[in-house]
Amino acid sequence: MKSLRTQTRLANLFVIPYGMSFVVFIICPIVFAAVLAFTQLDLTSRQHVHFVGFDNFREALKDPYFVQATQVTCLYSVLIVPAFVILSFGLALGLQGMAFGRNTVRGMLFLPGMFNVVVASIIWRWFYDGEFGFFNYLLKREGLTPIHWLGEKTLALPSIVVMSLWWGLGGATIILLAALEQVPIHLYEAAMIDGATSRKLLTKITIPQMRPVLLFIVVTSTIGAFQVFGQTFMMTNGGPDRSTTGLVQLIYDTAFNKYRLGYAASISWLLFFMISVIIIAQALLLRRSID
Amino acid sequence: MRINFLSVLFVICLVLTGVKLFSGGGSLVSRKTEVSFWNGWTGPDGIAMLEVIRQFNEENPDIEVSMQRMAWDTYYNKLMVSAMSGRGPQVFVIHASTLPRMVRAGYVGDVSDLFGPSTGISPSDFESKVLDQVKFGNQMVGVPLDIHPQGLYCNRDLFVAAGLTNPDGSPKPPTTKDEFIADIRKLQKIGPTGDHDVWGFSWTFWRNNFMALVPQFHGRYFDENGKPDLINPGNVAALTFMGDLMNHLKLTPPAESNAGWTGFRQKKVAMLFEGVYMVGDLQSLTDFHYFGAQVPKIGDQPGTVGDSHCLCIRADLSPKEREASERFIKYLSKHSLAWAKAGQVPARISIRNSEEFKKLQVQYAYSKEVPYMVYPPRTPLLFELIQEIDQAVERVLRGDMPPKKALEIANGNVASAIERDKQENKT
Repeated sequence: MKSLRTQTRLANLFVIPYGMSFVVFIICPIVFAAVLAFTQLDLTSRQHVHFVGFDNFREALKDPYFVQATQVTCLYSVLIVPAFVILSFGLALGLQGMAFGRNTVRGMLFLPGMFNVVVASIIWRWFYDGEFGFFNYLLKREGLTPIHWLGEKTLALPSIVVMSLWWGLGGATIILLAALEQVPIHLYEAAMIDGATSRKLLTKITIPQMRPVLLFIVVTSTIGAFQVFGQTFMMTNGGPDRSTTGLVQLIYDTAFNKYRLGYAASISWLLFFMISVIIIAQALLLRRSID
Repeated sequence: MRINFLSVLFVICLVLTGVKLFSGGGSLVSRKTEVSFWNGWTGPDGIAMLEVIRQFNEENPDIEVSMQRMAWDTYYNKLMVSAMSGRGPQVFVIHASTLPRMVRAGYVGDVSDLFGPSTGISPSDFESKVLDQVKFGNQMVGVPLDIHPQGLYCNRDLFVAAGLTNPDGSPKPPTTKDEFIADIRKLQKIGPTGDHDVWGFSWTFWRNNFMALVPQFHGRYFDENGKPDLINPGNVAALTFMGDLMNHLKLTPPAESNAGWTGFRQKKVAMLFEGVYMVGDLQSLTDFHYFGAQVPKIGDQPGTVGDSHCLCIRADLSPKEREASERFIKYLSKHSLAWAKAGQVPARISIRNSEEFKKLQVQYAYSKEVPYMVYPPRTPLLFELIQEIDQAVERVLRGDMPPKKALEIANGNVASAIERDKQENKT
């Protein structure tokens, strides 16, 4: 029998590869980006990298494109996160109640999430096509006026939200379904003996029991919403008239089209700050409301 | 026994790796000089270029050129980052309009020695405006391979059906503003419900369409002092025409539609402005008859916009790599007719004058625009400029703003970007 010290040493050895990759690919870039945010680094500039203090952050707060991208990102999050949580929870409840075909439906729900975001976006771009798209084909067949789903400023973002829901609901539903099945059955039985209604069962047993998982879904979907990029980049490239240009696309344009790495890093940190504040607020609110 | 075998294999791998490392990057077997060639030709043009490269590799057994293609969007990012860290390809393509920014980054090498009677690339074989694009101070930083202007694509069958033909029965493209508008009206087909079954014309890539019209109205982007001048009367007139055609005359699909190129391919759009490079996409279609023509004279003078792919090398190549790279560039320039067939106008006048080139209908028609074609402005802040133009054109075509107001906003934003860049590049 090996000694505890040998076992620990062996365990550490197994952790080293991941630890090294964590330091190299997570910690180092974070530190690098933190330093970068306080410097002026333009790849095409004649000047060397130099420290500029908070100038990049000041510029961002005054930049109309940053303000607009923040508004777009917030609007996208407000539209998608509640819909995402409610729909996936509803689907999970529905699936739990299904006597037959549950696995088939579960598989079908999960299928879209297996597509890469590029593939999913291309498929939906064709669904939404103003002239030749599937949705407008259906509308025309019914004698209705076609809609320019991605071409109109007021419709483009909601259309992307719908696509994102189709793409992402499956994964969250599966997680919630798994959590639902972990709720002890005796709690329901006891409540039903006491005459609890279905609504009471949901609000007093299911939701409180699901609290940690719901919090997880809210937090991850909020982070995902604030980082939206693939869908908007592929489906509208930020248009029409920048109405779908979110913060990550602004960071991408700033860093890789304008080559202003320092300024792009400062926007990244502002995005990180926004996400952190919102996540903490969500966690506190959710915890308090359920307590 | 198994351990011994693995040990021997390990030692062999180690020795081979060592030999490879110390062989200077050349192939282990043939000691060929490897030349990596990057570009953004991901369509049929890339396939044509692969064939040219295959021939080059056959004719030059001491060099092995390998091509890497990626979408232009990501291409410049990867090129910039890899080249600045000394890991970039030996030969790469840069658009003439993007050269100012890339040259300022400092990794594009001087290829002045490629121009001369002994190299086969004579400066007199290019229009001066084409050569000016690769001239930075006393240096030539690239060899222009082609020119790709915006021109007019037309659906031959729709033209003939609308009776827009010459006396010999060949289709007759519009050449003036009046003819252009009259032809759009004749070409469009409106169904009983008022929907367009066929549009006579469609805008495609709005910014490029706008930039094609700007020189026709004597427009410009910067004044003599380098200050942005997007609100000059020529630009306003060009943008007003675009907006009027769409929103007042209702002769193009609405802004929300993306009928453009897809509609043309599906025979639902009869005419549009597009780059010569799109011909490669049409060549793959069967039962589709099209022809190319010059952009009609909408303003006071003929004009269009164009760009060039320039063949460049890294500044820090070894003599051996440089010799191989230059040989490859000379070969591509000499064989640019093969490249032109994929949908380009060769930059070299002698190749444009060849009988074989004249047989390429669209390319030859577009080549007639070269004398009056203009390049985008030479500025390291091209992305900032076109981003603002994109938005101004979009606002007008969507009917959100009058042209002058949209261009004023764009002008202000470009001025701010230039001012910031000036501050950041103070020496």
